[in-house]
Order: sequence, then C-alpha cells, then structure tokens
Amino acid sequence: MKFLAMCSTGLGSSFMVRMNIETIVRELGLADVAVEHSDISSAGPGSADVFFVAKDLQDAAQGLGDVVVLNSIIDMDELRDAVKSAAARHGLL
Amino acid sequence: MLSDLLTEERILFSPSELTWREAVAGVARPLLAAGDITPDYVRAMLDSIAAGGTYIDLGHGIALAHARPENGAVRTAMSMLRLPAPAPLLDDPLHAVDLYFCFAAVDAEAHMSAMASLARILSDAGTRQALRDAASAPEVIKLITQFEETR
Repeated sequence: MKFLAMCSTGLGSSFMVRMNIETIVRELGLADVAVEHSDISSAGPGSADVFFVAKDLQDAAQGLGDVVVLNSIIDMDELRDAVKSAAARHGLL
Repeated sequence: MLSDLLTEERILFSPSELTWREAVAGVARPLLAAGDITPDYVRAMLDSIAAGGTYIDLGHGIALAHARPENGAVRTAMSMLRLPAPAPLLDDPLHAVDLYFCFAAVDAEAHMSAMASLARILSDAGTRQALRDAASAPEVIKLITQFEETR
C-alpha cells in the first residue's frame, strides 16, 4: 500500500505532508504502508494507492484515483482523520 | 535547526495592515538586506503567487513564501512577519494569512531539512497557537528553542 503526498514542486509542502503522514501511520500502527512525496506532474494513476494534495491542487489531481484533499497541510487532526479513512477504505483498519 | 535560521533580526512585526504583495516583500526584506537572497528571488515569489500559487498557504493563517533555489537563493535562510490583520493571498478571503514566513534554500537537501523543521513546529497545535500569539521576536525565539529542546 502506498500513500503519496504531492505538491507542485515536489520539494515543499508535499514533504511536510509526507512527514506528518508518516507520524500518523506510526501512531496508528499501520503495517505495510509506504509513504512518499513527489511533484504532481510526475504522478500517474499507478503511482500510489492514495494521493494526498492541498486544496489548490484539487483540480489537477482529478483522475489519479483515490485523492484526498487537505484544507491545511499543517493540521494533524484533519490529516489523522484523512489517513484513518483512507486506511479503512483500503482494508487496513 | 530552525533556531539557527530564525534570528532576532529576521523576525518582524508589522504595526500596519499590508497587502499580500507588501507582506511578501516585507517578510523577504531581512533576507535581502543580509544578502541571503537576490531581488530576483522576491520577484519569483511574487510571480509564483500571482500565477495562482496559493499553495504557499499552509492553513491556520500561516503562509510560507518561497521560490526555487535557482531563483536567487544565496544562502539557506528564513524570516517571519506577523501582521495585525490578514493580508489574504491574491485578495482571496479563503487564503487569509496574517503570519508570513519566507524561506530560501541553496539546494534540495537544505530545502527539505529546513522545511522539515518548520513542518514539525507548525504541525504541533500548541506551539503553533503560541507562535500566533507571540508579540515579540524574543518570545518567538524562546518558543522555537523550547520546542527544539523537547524533541
């Protein structure tokens, strides 16, 4: 199972989100979840099982598959709920 | 570490309300003055926001203005500007920002390391609120130092 955080450059906010997802994945004790980050232009539908983007990239991420749109990339409560839901959707919780 | 980058002269409080362009130019000023960035870097940040780059909005009223290393970053550096009222990005109330950070990194590795420090501190709800409530540069420095000491 792969979670992919994306932003426009693949350097900044996607890395922040990736770190926070990794923290939450550890908290929840989710096994077999790889977390990565990249720029959105190099991601395709096969790049991951769940894609995380900030709301400015909501439109650009359409068509990738299971896309989670975050209002804030530094809100751990929002992200924790999003990761839990994603894990549940994919039978990990 | 963040405390090495965000030094007292790089932490500003604006007494007056600003537009988002003034806020971005304002938060970049200490870095420009120190030679950490070139004027091109400021232009690149303004251009990327004007082109729809509200991705610098982190949420909770906080934005991280930055451009790419090759746009005129001389040294890895960071600054902060607190406003008395929001200066919404692109004048869009959905992006109401009253705490601007500016950030320059010389390469991808430095970029990600500083970004990681900032993400850790801003994702901690208690410290984030304390940073928003801080009223002086020494107060901000103390918060960052305390946060780093407990990690």
